[in-house]
Amino acid sequence: MTDTYLNLVNSGFTKKLAKQLGLPQPAPLKRYTPGQPLAEGAVLVLGRGSESDALSGLLSTDWNLDVHRHATPGTRYSAVVLALTELTHPDQLSEPVLEIGTVLKSLPGGGRVVTVSRAAVADDAPAVAAARQGVDGLLRSLAKELRGGATGNGVVLANDVPVTAPSVVGALRFFLSTKSAFVDGQLLAVDSTAGSLPEDWDTPLAGRVAVVTGAARGIGASIADTLARDGATVIAVDVPAAGEQLVAVANRVRGTALQLDVTADDAGARILEHALQRHGRLDIVVHNAGITRDKLLANMTPEKWDSVLAVNIASQLRINEALLTSGDFTDDPRIVSLASTSGIAGNRGQTNYAASKGGVIGMVRATAPLLEAFGGTANAVAPGFIETEMTARIPAVTRQVARRLNSLQQGGQPVDVAETVAFLSSPAAGGILGRVLRVCGQNMVGQ
Amino acid sequence: MTTTVVLPSVPALGGLFARGAGLSLQRRVRSGPTTLPDVAYVVRGVRADASHLTAYQHLLGEPGSDRLPTGFVHVLAFPVATALMVRSDFPLALVGLVHVANRVSQLRPVLLTDVLDVRATATDLRAHRSGTQVDLVTEVSVDGTLAWRGVSTYLARGVFLAGSVEETSDPFVPPTPTGRWTLAGDTGRRYAAVSGDRNPIHLTALTAKAFGFPRAIAHGMYTASRALADVGAARGDAFDWSVEFVKPVLLPGTVTVRIAHDGDGFAFAGWDARSGKPHLTGSVTPLS
Amino acid sequence: MARPTPTPSVRKAYVLGGNRIPFARAGGPYVRASNQDMLTAAIDGLVARYGLQGERIGEVAAGAVLKHSKDFNLTRESVLGSALSAETPAYDVQQACATGLETVVSLSNKIRLGQLESAIAGGVDSTSDAPIAVSNRLRRALLDLSRARSVGQKLAAVATIRPKDLAPSAPNTGEPRTHLSMGEHQALTTAQWGITQEAQDEVALASHQRLAAAYDSGFFDDLVTPFRGLTRDANLRADSSLEKLAKLKPAFGLGLDTPATMTAGNSTPLSDGASAVLLGSQEWAASHDLVPLAALVDAEAGAVDFVHGDDGLLMAPAFAVPRLLARNGLTLADFDYIEIHEAFAATVLTTLAAWESEEFGRTRLGLEGAFGSVDRAGLNVHGSSLAAGHPFAATGGRIIATISKELHRRKVASGSDTPVRALVSICAAGGLGLTAILEAA
Repeated sequence: MTDTYLNLVNSGFTKKLAKQLGLPQPAPLKRYTPGQPLAEGAVLVLGRGSESDALSGLLSTDWNLDVHRHATPGTRYSAVVLALTELTHPDQLSEPVLEIGTVLKSLPGGGRVVTVSRAAVADDAPAVAAARQGVDGLLRSLAKELRGGATGNGVVLANDVPVTAPSVVGALRFFLSTKSAFVDGQLLAVDSTAGSLPEDWDTPLAGRVAVVTGAARGIGASIADTLARDGATVIAVDVPAAGEQLVAVANRVRGTALQLDVTADDAGARILEHALQRHGRLDIVVHNAGITRDKLLANMTPEKWDSVLAVNIASQLRINEALLTSGDFTDDPRIVSLASTSGIAGNRGQTNYAASKGGVIGMVRATAPLLEAFGGTANAVAPGFIETEMTARIPAVTRQVARRLNSLQQGGQPVDVAETVAFLSSPAAGGILGRVLRVCGQNMVGQ
Repeated sequence: MTTTVVLPSVPALGGLFARGAGLSLQRRVRSGPTTLPDVAYVVRGVRADASHLTAYQHLLGEPGSDRLPTGFVHVLAFPVATALMVRSDFPLALVGLVHVANRVSQLRPVLLTDVLDVRATATDLRAHRSGTQVDLVTEVSVDGTLAWRGVSTYLARGVFLAGSVEETSDPFVPPTPTGRWTLAGDTGRRYAAVSGDRNPIHLTALTAKAFGFPRAIAHGMYTASRALADVGAARGDAFDWSVEFVKPVLLPGTVTVRIAHDGDGFAFAGWDARSGKPHLTGSVTPLS
Repeated sequence: MARPTPTPSVRKAYVLGGNRIPFARAGGPYVRASNQDMLTAAIDGLVARYGLQGERIGEVAAGAVLKHSKDFNLTRESVLGSALSAETPAYDVQQACATGLETVVSLSNKIRLGQLESAIAGGVDSTSDAPIAVSNRLRRALLDLSRARSVGQKLAAVATIRPKDLAPSAPNTGEPRTHLSMGEHQALTTAQWGITQEAQDEVALASHQRLAAAYDSGFFDDLVTPFRGLTRDANLRADSSLEKLAKLKPAFGLGLDTPATMTAGNSTPLSDGASAVLLGSQEWAASHDLVPLAALVDAEAGAVDFVHGDDGLLMAPAFAVPRLLARNGLTLADFDYIEIHEAFAATVLTTLAAWESEEFGRTRLGLEGAFGSVDRAGLNVHGSSLAAGHPFAATGGRIIATISKELHRRKVASGSDTPVRALVSICAAGGLGLTAILEAA
């Protein structure tokens, strides 16, 4: 699952050639390793007002970063935070935005731009809403201009959410870190002040028990690895037929393996029974198990349609129902479900898959409120083109094209999805309610 | 009055066979004696060799103890009887003699460290429906006490020195088997190596054909000794072991066997499963 | 019958769970897998299921019937290759087909005595990767050669080698003392007890149907972990029928004067596979959040003199079980489940016939009449070796894990304090048999 093209354009003669031919120049993305500093170099925090001051204080005091409030010529900033929550008119955009422009060229590979703004809603004064919505367009375009693996993402706060809310802080940190390497051009909404910050940012999931379905290989295995790295006790679930690989994953993460068909009527009860009996609690459920049975709708068979819907969405609904009614999923619970860019933008030959993944998006939106009373939430992660065994089976030319169709001009790694899942599973994500976060390198399709 | 001939050591069978073959040739030219010589052959101070014993034990499936298997004592002592059989005054020619039965009384255990005195005599020259039979009696003593006594019965087919008799025997009915011997083509050569009995009929198909057998045949004492080994430790310290050799076992070959409890002791039989014809029958009976 | 003597006051040892890889047919998907590969996989699956990574288990005991000499420390080597702590001690056991059960029994006894808190019992066998030895003559020549000092001695050693000595000698499944195969021995017993092919085929069919049903219901989801792409026992034929079984030609007992009744369909095939069982004390189970499934109450080994035709080779359990039950003051009717290893369908039927025989009870067991009869509904409830296959030393672990889960399930479902018991009986080469009583926890 290596990207040969990416390797070629980053070494020696072929690098030069690609540049001269004007070919896409994807940069190797830096991924997270424990102990890595949040930013390598100074961080520029732009924007006016008390909330921008608060953010600046957070970065400098709590996270020990070298924070500048204005661009100093000659300084290479590793990250820029645009604090725009206090905008009241589009006119106010020009000053901070133009200041960013002066530092973008010197933004190093893997640099970060993060906007913090507020959601435009119908109750807003028109000028306020215009300014706020303007940030969306600004960020998405800015992200497309970044090179060298740099990304731009935004945190979008609901009206009554202060910038110090745990989920704002958590999302900001996630976007600044290399954990979000393949998340680009995304605006993540924070809906409430719920959630809490971890005692130790290296182990945000300490003491938490997580179930990962489809954990035997690919993205699921990576999610299990990542949750375990973050301190969670992992229950690795997969169908009995995948048991051999599941054993390897469970033993690697020092968790437990549970062979289970998620479509079984009693899957939820068995997951809960295992979690309570073996680990005393259940906090996080990652619905990762999924299948594809691609076929043009004109040729679709009932078997292909039904099996995809059964595994990808119906099983999740049934398991969630069992957990929600059990009374044992009530301590800041988290549900993170795997959607797909296909479920957002559609994909030829994937009506069944896209319907199921669209269904996931609707499901988390409606499930989050049910968990809110317990400090819980449900969210979705929508991967774009990820380098897995599954995408390795796509014909070579199609695969090459698919890889380049995003701002980072490459496919993501399973760990990119896993990091996003881990963030949405963390206590800090409690204020993000029923949202979808894309891990697609700002894919050209869809929103 | 029996004449005692003391030999300095147990003679080698090879030389005895050569001598026997020469005498047999003479018999064709002139008629020989018709009574048994009243003579006893004696060898004193016979010792068993440990590696010879081990080779025997491994081949026959006997436990590797320092106790000499009953069949092994036969191997040690019988050449003395053979020496008697190649005397020029012995009435039957060695070549062509068929070993038809063997009876051994193991009176007490014989150990590797024991020094053995062997005494062999020939008795009971008698008529058989198809010829003449004779018993070779071999006795093994340790410190002057009889420990082992074997009686080997040989038949000279077509030689009628003492008239003839009609004998009837019960027809053999194959019993439920308890085991099977799969005998490889080299079984005769391997037993020859531990017993010294290199009679050509046991060695190769070619040499056996010269004596009228389609292939090499197993030594009777090999099959009898395997049956005794199969009885195992339950035979005890003192017992009678008797066997009748009915039909030779062609090599390579398969013998279906039954070795089972029978009263106080054991009965054994080996037969051809396809034809139902017996190769050997016998018993092991404890001596109290 | 003598009054049962009270069991000495020792603590209980529990079966906490099990794992096995699906059993393959010889020459199948595990053809290149060694005993160590398979045993490690079975242990790793157990570790993954119960979260025992890095755990120092009290002791691991396992074994294989067909064993390479390089595998002298098979179990320890498998532990070292597993996710368990490298400080977990281990030892090898070998008791023919009873190996797996014997590891369960001996480790349970250590737990009962307080010598161990936790243990893993297991077994493995490969008929695909069976050891091939050089001929005895070649072996002796090579050993002489290795000891030879001078060129002359070396040449002398080499000179003793004959071309045919170079042919390897493979292990055979024949009994060393009778040279009859196990099937031929069972055929004698089958004929002795007048067991028909139809009756044997019914046992085989039930085995396949019950094992298939157990797989379909997900019963084995937490008992079996796939290996080398195999997800279910390769020998399992869910679509078997009496008609299909009846068409198979007899394979054993052809030389007897009664009709041969034993076919490939009602005999177990040569198999590859491994199993492991997690055992522990109440305290250890509690401290590891594990639920005891069943306690191993008692066990009894037996042996028969098949060499001299007294009894059938595989009939030892027919003697061991009456002794075991007498000691525990139990009768066959006290058992909810009876697991009789299906070496052959006829082995099960001759054992049942012996227990139901007045004469056998009186003359061979020393009872006043027949020992008793078994309710077939509780016999091998989730299928047995005829359907699953029989990698010799792995069978004990398969049976113990399966029936312990079933015992616990029944106990929980009943919600009462009434004991739920299983009797396990495994026959083995050499006229051996090992039997045990389990009680639901």
